[in-house]
Amino acid sequence: MPLMNSACSSTIPRRKWLTVILSLVMTSVLPLLPARLSAASDVPFVRNGEASFVVSHIQYGLSLDAAETDACPNGMSKNLQEIYALRPEGQQRPDEKDRDYMKRLRGVARAMDTSDDGRPFCLHPELAPADKHFRAVQRSDIPVFGIDLDGRNASNDFPGIDGNDGVDNQWYRMTGCLRSYQSTGQSNAYEIGMLTGSWGILIKLEGVDDIRNDEHIDIHLYANSDPIRLSPSRDALAFATYTATASPKYRATTTGRIVDGVLMSDPVDARFHNEVNSMYLDRPLKDAQLQITLSQDGAMSGYLSGYTPVEAMYDMQFGYRSGRTSDGDLAPESLRSRTASGAAFVLGHTCRGAYQALYAYADGHPDPDTGRFTSISTQYRIEAVPAFVVEPTDCSEEACK
Amino acid sequence: MIRPPARSIRLIKLALQSAATAVIAGFTLLSVGCGGDNSSRLTEPEPVGGPALMRRLTEAQYRATIADIFSPEAPVLARFERGLRSEGLIAVGTSEAGISSFSIEQYDAAARGVAEFILSEPRRAAFVPCQPSSEVTFDRDCATRFVTHYGTLLFRRPLNPMQIQRYVTVAELGSQKLDGFYAGLQFALVGMMTSPQFLLRIEQTEENPDDATLEQLDPYSKATRLSYFLINSTPDQELLQAAENGELDNDEGLAKHVDRLMGLPRFNRALTAFFVDMLEFDLFDDVAKDTEIYPAFNSDVALDAQEQTLRDIVQHLNARDGDYRDLFTLDRSHMTRALGVVYQQPVALRSGWEVVPLSVTGNRLGIQSHISFLALHAHPGRSSPTLRGEAIRNVFLCQEVPDPPADIDFSVVQNPSPDHLPTARDRLRAHSTDPACKGCHKVMDPVGLALENYDGLGIFRRHEYGARIDTSGFLDGTAYEDALGLAHALRNHPETPRCLVEKMYRYGVGRDTVWDERAYMDYLIATFKQNGYRVPALMRTIALSENFFAISPVARISDEHQFANHGTGQPSNERGLL
Repeated sequence: MPLMNSACSSTIPRRKWLTVILSLVMTSVLPLLPARLSAASDVPFVRNGEASFVVSHIQYGLSLDAAETDACPNGMSKNLQEIYALRPEGQQRPDEKDRDYMKRLRGVARAMDTSDDGRPFCLHPELAPADKHFRAVQRSDIPVFGIDLDGRNASNDFPGIDGNDGVDNQWYRMTGCLRSYQSTGQSNAYEIGMLTGSWGILIKLEGVDDIRNDEHIDIHLYANSDPIRLSPSRDALAFATYTATASPKYRATTTGRIVDGVLMSDPVDARFHNEVNSMYLDRPLKDAQLQITLSQDGAMSGYLSGYTPVEAMYDMQFGYRSGRTSDGDLAPESLRSRTASGAAFVLGHTCRGAYQALYAYADGHPDPDTGRFTSISTQYRIEAVPAFVVEPTDCSEEACK
Repeated sequence: MIRPPARSIRLIKLALQSAATAVIAGFTLLSVGCGGDNSSRLTEPEPVGGPALMRRLTEAQYRATIADIFSPEAPVLARFERGLRSEGLIAVGTSEAGISSFSIEQYDAAARGVAEFILSEPRRAAFVPCQPSSEVTFDRDCATRFVTHYGTLLFRRPLNPMQIQRYVTVAELGSQKLDGFYAGLQFALVGMMTSPQFLLRIEQTEENPDDATLEQLDPYSKATRLSYFLINSTPDQELLQAAENGELDNDEGLAKHVDRLMGLPRFNRALTAFFVDMLEFDLFDDVAKDTEIYPAFNSDVALDAQEQTLRDIVQHLNARDGDYRDLFTLDRSHMTRALGVVYQQPVALRSGWEVVPLSVTGNRLGIQSHISFLALHAHPGRSSPTLRGEAIRNVFLCQEVPDPPADIDFSVVQNPSPDHLPTARDRLRAHSTDPACKGCHKVMDPVGLALENYDGLGIFRRHEYGARIDTSGFLDGTAYEDALGLAHALRNHPETPRCLVEKMYRYGVGRDTVWDERAYMDYLIATFKQNGYRVPALMRTIALSENFFAISPVARISDEHQFANHGTGQPSNERGLL
C-alpha cells in the first residue's frame, strides 16, 4: 500500500516508474537467464558433475612448413644414403646402373649405421659419431602452436600462433627441418594408430558445475583400454563408452579450472600408449597440462602439453629400442633395428642425428647431477568428443545393483 | 444409391474409433461380468472357424525346423524371399503368397546343403537310423527307415505307403546313378525337403464330432498349428506321438502338451517371432540412414536395436510374467555399447548385453521409444511424425490409416529449413492445411509429434534448427505433454490390449478374423484382461480353445465380406479399400 500510495501520489512520472520496474526486473531476473547454456545441468555431456571425453584427433603442435617460414636456410636433414651421396665416392659412377648404385648406397648406409663391434646405431645411438648434417630450427621468431609451460618467456621460446608468448616448443625446433615432420610428411600422422584402435586417450572431469567458469575441477587422464568408435566417415562418435585402463602407470589425476570456457589443468605426469609397426611403446608426458576450449556441444579443442623424456621420445619417434610385443615382451632386436633404420631412410634422418638433437634442444627436467636437460618441451594439438568413461568391471554400477 | 468415397468412409471409421472402442469396451465388460474378477469363469463362444490353409514356412520357421530336426549346426545356405505382409502380419501373408522360381532354387540349395551336411562321412552315423549292409549297393530296408523317420519329421505327419515308396525309389535311383547308398539317401532327402509337404504347412481336416456344420484340423495339422504357434518350429516326436495317439483331441491331453511346449526354452523363440512380425522388423532390411546426419548408425546398431526390443519383450512378458501394457512404459532396457552411443548411455560391458535404465535423464519410456521403432519409422535423413504416428496406430492399436492420395505435394515437409518452419510441427501444420491431407494428419500427427524429441535415428534432442520442439498432443482423447505422457496414454488405451489379442490370434491361425468370430475375440480380450494382460496366458488360452482348431468348410479366405475389424466393431466391407 505505501508503494501504491507513494506511486500514485508521487510526482515521478508514470513512464519513469515503468523504467524503475523494468530495471528491477532486468537486474533481478535477467541474471537468472543465461545468455547461453553454461550451467553443467544444461548440457547433455555433463552428468552429475562428470564429463568425459575421448581424444579424437592428436598431432604434434609444430608450425607452418619450413618452406613457408624459411626456418631451415641450410636445408633439411638427410638420411645416411643422402649423406654418403654427398661424398665423392658416394656419387653414381658413369658405368653404374641405377639399381646397382642404390644397392651400393644401401650397403654403405648399413655399414655406416653399425658400430665397429657390430651393434646397430639406431639401438645404440649414444655410441654413434655426430651427425653434422642434422638440421634444426635456429630462429626463435617463428610462430608455433602451443602454450607457455613454465611461465617464462625465455630466449629460446617461440611466439604462439594463437597470439600468445613464451611458447615452449623445442620439439618443433628439433623436428622443424625434418621433411617427415612437414605437413606432407608421415611422422605427424601417428593418430592413425589411435583411429585404428591400437591406443587412445581419455579425459574425465569431475566436479563440473559450470562449463564456462569453474574454479575447481578434478581431471583424470587415462589410457583407453578400448578401440575408439568411429563413424563410417572415420570420425569419432560422441557418447561412446570406453574403459579406462586399470594400470596405475597410465592413469594420471590432477586439478584444474575452467576460465571463460577454457579448461586449464595443473601439471601432472601422464603416460599413454603408442604403437609402431606392431610394437608397443609408451608415450610419457611430464608436467602435462591441458589448455583446451570446451564448446557447448562438448567438443574440445586445444593443447595437451608438457615435457617428453628424451630417451622416451627417441624410442617413440626414431629408435624403437623399448618396443614390445602385444604380450609385453621386448620385440625382437631385428624388428626394432630394422624398423628404426628403415624409418630413418624413408623419413629422411639419421638415428644418431635425432638422438643428438634431442639432447641438444632438450629444455626440461635437468639431471640433478649433471645439469643436463633430460626432457624436451612437447605440444600436442588435440580434439576430443564427449564419451563415457567406465572403470574395468563386469557391469555398470547400475547393473551391478 | 450413391456411395460415399472410400477415403471418406475410412476417415469416418477412424474418427469413430475412439467412441466405438469405448462402447465395445463397456460392452465387453458387461458381457464378462464387469471383468477384473479373477474368480469369474469365462466361457468360450461356440467355435466359428476359418478355412483350412496352406502356409509357407517363414525363414525363421524354416531355419528352426531344420535345426530341430537335424542339428543347429546344419547349414541353411539360401537367401529367402521377403515375406508378404497381409493384415499387418507376415504370418497372415504366408497363406496368401506363392512360391517363385527363385525361391525354389533357394530351397533346393538349402536342401542340398543340409543333406550334404548330415550325410557327410563323419556325421552319417549319427543321423542315419540304420547301418546299411553296404555303402555301394542299395539297402532298401535301411533306406525305408531313413525315409520314414525323416519324412515323418519333415512332413509333420507319417508318410503314406505311396510317399514312402516314392522317396525310397528316388533313393535307389540316386544310389545307382551316384554310385553310393548315402548319395542316394541325399537325393531322397533333397526331394523331401523341396516337397510342398515340407515347405507348406498344408492343413488337413476331419469332421467335428460335436458340430456337423464344422470341421476341425486333423490331429497332425493340430499338432503343427500348435507347434508353430508355441515354439515357432516343427512338432517334435512327442507331439507327433500325441497326435498319433489322439491325445490332442481331449482337453487334458491338449493342455498337457500346450504346457509342455510353453515350458520349453523355445517358447521364447515363438514370442520373439510374433513380435518380430508385429513390429515389422522385416522392414529393417530396407532401413538406410544418411551417415553424415546420423554418424552413429551402422549395421551393428540396426541389429542390436532389434535385439534390444526383443530381449526386453521376452524378459518382461515371459521371464517376469509382466503385463503386456507395461511394455509401453518400461524404464529399463538391454543395452550394448553400440546402442549406448545412440541412447547416449554408458555401457560398462565391452561386449554383450546389460540391463540399464533406458534413459538416465528420464527422457524415454517403453518400446515405442526404442531405436528399433524410432529409426524404422523415420526417413533416412530426418524424423517423421507422420510415419511414427501411423505406425503407432497400425502396429500397436490396429487402427489403419489410409495411404495418401497420389497427387499430394510433400515439398513443405520434405524441405526443412532453419529459417522457415524449423520444426516438424511447423511444417506439418503448413502441409495439413491442404484439405486432402488434413483428415489423416489429424489422426497421425499428434501421436508422432510426441516422439519428435527423437531424431531420425532416435537420438534425444530438445531443439530442431534452434527452435524448441513442442511434443504436446493427444491420443484419442488423452492429452499429454511429451513422449513420456504418450507412453502412459498408449499403455492405458483400450485398443492396446485388444490389438495385441487380435494380432496374436491372426498370427496363430494365419488369416484375418471373420465377422462371426467377434464374440470369440471379446472372450479372448476379456480373458486377457482377467489374466492381468499376461501374453503367455493369452497364448495358452488361444492354444486350448476350440476356435483355434476349428475349420469352417464354407469359409473362403478370398471372401472379403466375411472379415471383420474388431477394433471398430464395424463390418469391414470397406477393408479392401483401406
